[in-house]
Amino acid sequence: MAREKAIPEVDIVVDEEKGVIREVKPVNYRSKSAHERRVNRGIYAILIIMSIIWLCPFVFLVLQSFRCESGGQVNYLIPKQFGFDNYIFLFKESNFPKWYLNTLSIAMVCAVVQTIITLSVSYTLSRMRFRGRKLIMKMILVLGMFPGFLTMICLYFLLKQLGLTQAGAIPGLILIYCASSGMGYYISKGFFDTIPKSLDESARIDGATRFQVFKKIIMPLSKPIVIYTILMAFMGPWGDYVFASYVAFGRNESYNVAVGLYDWVNTNDYQGYFTRFCAGGVLVAIPITALFLALQRYYVEGVTGGAVKG
Amino acid sequence: MTELEFLKLSKPQKIGYQLLQFFAGLPGRLWGGLKKLGMFFVNLAVKLWDEIKDICLTFKDGDWKTRLSYVVMGFGSAARGQVFRGILFFLFQTVFNMYMIFFGGAYLAKFGTLGTVETTKVNRKTVYGDNSFLILLYGILTIFFIIAAIYTWRVNIKQNKVSEQILKSGKKLKGAKDDIAALADTQFHKTLLSLPMIGIFLFTIVPIIFMVLVAFTNYDYQHQSPAKLFTWVGLENFRTLLSPDSASYGNTFGQVLLWTLIWAFFATFLNYFLGMLVAIMINKKGIKLKKMWRTIFVMTIAIPQFVSLLYVSKMFAADGIINSLLMGWGWIKQPLPFWTNPRWAQVTVIIINIWIGIPYLMLIATGILMNIPADLYESARIDGANAIQTYSRITLPYMLFVTGPYLLTSFIGNINNFNVIFLLTQGKPDVLGNSAGSTDLLITWLYAMTVDNTNYKMAACIGIIVFVVCAVINLVVYNLIPSVKNEEDFQ
Amino acid sequence: MASVTLKHIKKIYDNKVTAVQDFNLEIQDKEFVVFVGPSGCGKSTTLRMIAGLEDISEGELFIGDRLVNDVEPKDRDIAMVFQNYALYPHITVYENLAFSLRIRKMNNEEIHRRVCQAADILGITEYLGRKPKALSGGQRQRVAIGRAIVREPQVFLMDEPLSNLDAKLRNQMRAEIILLRKRLDTTFIYVTHDQTEAMTLGDRIVIMKDGFIQQVGTPQEVFETPHNLFVAGFIGSPQMNIFEAELTRDGDVYSVEVQGMKLQLEGDRAVCLRERNVQSQKVLLGVRPEHVSIRFDGGENAVSGTVTVNEMMGSELHLHVAAGAEKNVILRVPTIDLTPEQRASLNAGNQLNFSFASKVVQLFDPETEQSLLWGGAAE
Repeated sequence: MAREKAIPEVDIVVDEEKGVIREVKPVNYRSKSAHERRVNRGIYAILIIMSIIWLCPFVFLVLQSFRCESGGQVNYLIPKQFGFDNYIFLFKESNFPKWYLNTLSIAMVCAVVQTIITLSVSYTLSRMRFRGRKLIMKMILVLGMFPGFLTMICLYFLLKQLGLTQAGAIPGLILIYCASSGMGYYISKGFFDTIPKSLDESARIDGATRFQVFKKIIMPLSKPIVIYTILMAFMGPWGDYVFASYVAFGRNESYNVAVGLYDWVNTNDYQGYFTRFCAGGVLVAIPITALFLALQRYYVEGVTGGAVKG
Repeated sequence: MTELEFLKLSKPQKIGYQLLQFFAGLPGRLWGGLKKLGMFFVNLAVKLWDEIKDICLTFKDGDWKTRLSYVVMGFGSAARGQVFRGILFFLFQTVFNMYMIFFGGAYLAKFGTLGTVETTKVNRKTVYGDNSFLILLYGILTIFFIIAAIYTWRVNIKQNKVSEQILKSGKKLKGAKDDIAALADTQFHKTLLSLPMIGIFLFTIVPIIFMVLVAFTNYDYQHQSPAKLFTWVGLENFRTLLSPDSASYGNTFGQVLLWTLIWAFFATFLNYFLGMLVAIMINKKGIKLKKMWRTIFVMTIAIPQFVSLLYVSKMFAADGIINSLLMGWGWIKQPLPFWTNPRWAQVTVIIINIWIGIPYLMLIATGILMNIPADLYESARIDGANAIQTYSRITLPYMLFVTGPYLLTSFIGNINNFNVIFLLTQGKPDVLGNSAGSTDLLITWLYAMTVDNTNYKMAACIGIIVFVVCAVINLVVYNLIPSVKNEEDFQ
Repeated sequence: MASVTLKHIKKIYDNKVTAVQDFNLEIQDKEFVVFVGPSGCGKSTTLRMIAGLEDISEGELFIGDRLVNDVEPKDRDIAMVFQNYALYPHITVYENLAFSLRIRKMNNEEIHRRVCQAADILGITEYLGRKPKALSGGQRQRVAIGRAIVREPQVFLMDEPLSNLDAKLRNQMRAEIILLRKRLDTTFIYVTHDQTEAMTLGDRIVIMKDGFIQQVGTPQEVFETPHNLFVAGFIGSPQMNIFEAELTRDGDVYSVEVQGMKLQLEGDRAVCLRERNVQSQKVLLGVRPEHVSIRFDGGENAVSGTVTVNEMMGSELHLHVAAGAEKNVILRVPTIDLTPEQRASLNAGNQLNFSFASKVVQLFDPETEQSLLWGGAAE
């Protein structure tokens, strides 16, 4: 900033007839910088208003989760009576801890298995050339255009044959989430594509097998995308309602948090359960958000890379 | 027109000329596509013929080990010392035969009718007849198994031929050890892909084929297996869904499709431009606390959608906090009909989706903005462009070019954006009939059909339509925008 | 140490593009061979086929006596230096050098010995603990070479190893490669697009274009007896000047006339023409800029032209002259012999006369662009 002020902006007027620069007139840079300041002030105002809009639902959520006097929607924001009643209810009188544990275990297994599968597929499609490679990519592209829930009843039946519905919903869901995770290879393939191929070639000439190339060269270089993939795989199961409710099919103990809390809001007498939903939501959101914000950098790298590469 | 003449044209003239060229070239391109398709089938036939010829020739020229392998798979391999391979082939053949005899064959035989024996009740005991669902599912699996068997048989024959040649030239065959070592090297892709591909096959391909076939049956709540049979009905369901005179479905479908496209358009482009705007504001020189602003917006991505969207949905309800506050302040007398009036609901959904979408696009736009080479801006400044010109001539074209493929995937993604609609409105308010609401997308309608109405045949039809819509959009865009097409060769 | 033999090697890509056509070459043990040509001529593809990174579509490749068409790169006992160095960014220089040895499960003592030796040869001992990111371009280049040295391979492959360096560093590294080659005394195959590198480094040069070998020979051979117009233009800087000229045969006497200047061909040039039984015809006449001399004395049996650009290079002048149909004839004039008046007469816009001797001219057929003097149908 300081240097910009030292050099005043100038306007150069060229005299066409004489073919020379006729006038070098300093512009009042003070007015320009004032203009700049006005623009910035406007931007700050917009950003502040937007921040309020973006944050207030979450602030409301937290506030209402501490409300003790009534469980429904009310026409004021600040609870009249602060307390942990709703949280106590979650742990003492509901299946919430069970749901939480269900979701957590699904998420952890998925984080491991999905990551391995996704990285295997994307690495193969990025680095190796073999017959059928293009075919696989085209096939996955076409399959991806079918809506996901189309296959729900068929999957339900398949799981039922394996005894993985209702009581066995947890392993069943893990199976569904992981089985098709190879189709989400795009972003990590985009990342692998940016690692120069000559590294592989050099290692192969140095005597490494393709497995050794994968283990010793590519994996150590792929930390950001590995973390991104784990993060995505871990977060996915927390938000899934459709498959989770369909596979658990009315069996309360097999719900995940999304199904359990959704039912509180929508099918039960939600006026009574509204604040409890808020409390549950807070408990789900806090660890996920914390994890996400901590690993934000990798997420940003992943989505921007993915969007640019398509 | 020569290139130089074209370059001289003004911008609208250029666009007009290009459009003209596009439409003029359309018949040619269509014809070219048809020809390609034709060539594909001709090539396929030629290839098939070559294979058959090769199979026959191998039999004619082969020794007895090779010939015996036509009946006993893997015999040739085992006899030539590749015992491991031989056993694998033989094992496959045995399993396949057992499967066909004891299991698959029976289902396949009924595949044409999907079962004829009704389930009946005899003396209060249920006597189960055919299960159409199982016949359809196992029928598909069996067909795949047969194809796999033919392929394996062919590989088995080819191996015999190759082994014979190798032995003739005096070289040694690979042993089991080499085969396994190759799995970590030259065949490493097989190791890595086998498990994911089995998963995709069993849990994506088979179910999709199953559901595609269901669209051609009468499988619904009146024909639920195992109690009732269902059977093939040809294109009947599509006729119901698409014909305009079948008052109910055709009409509903048209409205839902229209709303789906409107929604996808706004959800994609509104978010895109607003997100870019926010990114530009945050990244502007002289704006402080960049990281804080970004983090605030990123919160909406971090918090699971079912928490945030469900809560926001309740905020806008008739008794929700927004209406109560507004009434409490005396600004309105009646609650605003956010979720009860169809138009209000549609607009509200789009607006709330902006709340969800801006952060995501803000991140992407930030990444790209930082990648725009600084000398482009400097050069523009020296050429005398002001801020708005710089934006419209450099930033925007660059963004559009780089994010072209993203816009496409995002549009397709929004057509299938289940979460936002389902968590906010569940498709309500109900007005369209056939269990479709005014905010229902095709995909949420499909969900309602499956879960609430058990109208599987119609759900399957809608699924196919969604696929067709996506495929058409993809094809058109891929053919129009070169930058999308070449994205594959980025390496 | 081994010879490398390429027999009828061909590379056809999936999309039916032929990158290399019928490549035949025998590389002797301990020979330094340079593949040179413009980009897209197939030189890198050929090298990568030798390395095993590309499949060979047709033909046979031997390293030593072993047919290696289907041998994996790791089993070919070769080492390769890549254009972008391909250093593993996540490990130290030491580990980069040791990588191939560790893969081969060599014992630690031996690895240490070889790494230290290579580092010593290349003068990178003090950087062994650093990651590649912390090195300059020249140092990275050394590490890349070092990684190849430790292997003690039979064949040393280098794919444009100097093209990412700046001009000064490139000259320095070029000299070091010559020294290194003396020290290692093994077979080298070196790919470059820079003819200076090719001329200075190679025992033999293979000049390629569009997938075909144009000429194989020692630097002197390809410089003095180019087999076709392409080789003549590619080797030497500035480029050879080409004139349209008329060749006349009178019995056994050949003479050539270019823009009024008449030269009688003598010595081996005349012998070659006679042997090939060349008749009177239109020809393209080539002469190198350093072989053209200015005739300050006058215009007798000389070509006249106008100076368009006068480039002062220090020890010599590069004159661009428009002479008749040829708009850009280049002359290299050593400044040391010029008087101030002479120098002044060479300014842009002035007229001058120049000529050259018949013993330096090259003659090409305008149709086939093949040399009328050397090489021939056999090539």
